[in-house]
Amino acid sequence: MNDLPEMLNRQAAWQRSRRLLPWPVKIRMAEMARETIMQLRNDAARSKPRKDDAR
Amino acid sequence: MRDAGVISNYALFGATAQIRYTEPLATLDADVLVTLPDSGHLDILRPLYEFCEARGYPIEGEAIRVGAWPVQFIPVFNTLTGEALEQAETADFDGVPFRVVGAAHLAVIALSVGRGKDYARILALLDSGAVTREEIAALASRHGLAEAWIRFERRFVDE
Repeated sequence: MNDLPEMLNRQAAWQRSRRLLPWPVKIRMAEMARETIMQLRNDAARSKPRKDDAR
Repeated sequence: MRDAGVISNYALFGATAQIRYTEPLATLDADVLVTLPDSGHLDILRPLYEFCEARGYPIEGEAIRVGAWPVQFIPVFNTLTGEALEQAETADFDGVPFRVVGAAHLAVIALSVGRGKDYARILALLDSGAVTREEIAALASRHGLAEAWIRFERRFVDE
């Protein structure tokens, strides 16, 4: 647990380093994140029990 | 679309514009500010939708799908967004020039909208050094948002 501040600092530094990437690269990263979110949403929607199933 | 007279001018804004200055972040769509020639249509975006659909870009709800992205075209809705579009910068996207709203206008538009994610945008832009508090204050003041900016600073910046 004592490593936590150091881990968070490393994470923050890594995130800040992403800023320096070229804009098109960052857009493609956002695009990948978007696809992942959409996939997770679809999976969640599919796994949700339908009202009909409960009958 | 400009050459065809469907729009008069455009500039990318919202999260995809913010990403120019900050680390990448997840966003579900791309927002484009547009000015439109007076078409006489009550639904002012209709010619734009028709133009895109005729060229194979499908309409999805209020957006038009361009590649992987649903793109929302938003007509300028006040003097702030009009100025943001007018003073947009031309950025290079893999060799293609692309008009993008600048950091100060992005921040003040976010201030005017005032949701949690908009406040996060202002903080991210400040943190990136793309805009200063003084620049935001000056622009906010010109657009009647001085009080909103003072409240934001008190709440999120002055600690």
